[in-house]
Amino acid sequence: MKEELPAGATKHLKTLALKAGATVVGVADAAAFDAHAPEKHRPADLLPGARTVVVVGGAQPRAGDWIAASPWLLSTMGTTERIQGVGRRVAQAIESELGYYALFVPPGTASGDTPFLSLMLAAELAGLGARSLAGPVLNRAHGFLYWSAVITTAPFEVDPPEGAPACPAPACQDMWEREGTTPCLRVCPVDAGGCLGGQLENGRAIRTSYDAGRCHTRVHTHWVGGFQKVLEETLNEPDRERRKMLVYGDFMTRTLWAITYSSTNIAQCFECMRVCPAAHGLREMR
Amino acid sequence: MAFFRLDPELYARHKDEVLRLSNSFQTIERRGLSDREIAERLGLDERTVTEIRVVAERDCYPLDEWERAIEFKRRACTEWSALALKRPDLKAP
Repeated sequence: MKEELPAGATKHLKTLALKAGATVVGVADAAAFDAHAPEKHRPADLLPGARTVVVVGGAQPRAGDWIAASPWLLSTMGTTERIQGVGRRVAQAIESELGYYALFVPPGTASGDTPFLSLMLAAELAGLGARSLAGPVLNRAHGFLYWSAVITTAPFEVDPPEGAPACPAPACQDMWEREGTTPCLRVCPVDAGGCLGGQLENGRAIRTSYDAGRCHTRVHTHWVGGFQKVLEETLNEPDRERRKMLVYGDFMTRTLWAITYSSTNIAQCFECMRVCPAAHGLREMR
Repeated sequence: MAFFRLDPELYARHKDEVLRLSNSFQTIERRGLSDREIAERLGLDERTVTEIRVVAERDCYPLDEWERAIEFKRRACTEWSALALKRPDLKAP
């Protein structure tokens, strides 16, 4: 393996990623994950000798998607796979052009709901954004993005963390002063059957509680969890005709559609991001 | 080698603690523990902790909560659409 990268290699790779369709691209130090991620979920656990992690973001929903009147549109229009294609292109370039190992982080889970590597953590460490009060990492310029990451043995130049976080947005700070809440907290309040609890302190967003289990029922309503739940209910149902209603019903049918198109249909709840002033384009549409 | 089956009693005893410590429910303030770290803390083996965690992830809420999720999204989405487009008629009844 080579020891040093050619001059300008980091810039060249970033240009390639942007040309391949990334909206943003950054590089994180592989060792920086150690303080935040448990073993088996760190870059070097997946690729021995990992030195950096290249992160690309993009393929975000369009303004029209955000205002669609059906909650199912955003989930079925999921565009995560598009940014995954960019990630694969980056991995290929690192190996074929520079001769370093490059491991495309699979978008699936390692076991249960736990990812191989947290793409949100990778995006933060690569200086591409910061976690919002609602959870997703938001980029200051582009808001909510989908992420893909490549772990590599190549010693690319590492980016610093993003300066100021996009969350809370000025509009949310005003709302907090006025009403003691923010758009995301109001749409999904943990103390009223939702997932989120938090507050703004000295202009910073602080999350005080989060119901991940309930969030799962919303983000993955018609996915693996929903399938298992209905399957369990069906197996427990002694009446044949009632069993049929469960198996042939809308919930199970939607779930099976979602699972069979799982690479484009994983995220199924966007409500905290839909109302977030920092999450999508500020340009006024007609 | 026999198929691994989790003892329901063992599961019931440890599920809350395993979920609380795990990386499945990530929080900003603290790093979640790996299954091995949880196993060491609770005096269990790693495979058992993995199984407890995966089952517990799905066991947080009953099926009714999935139905509530559908209703929540329907309502939140149409309310936003009505607000953003200044079309109160789009609001769900």
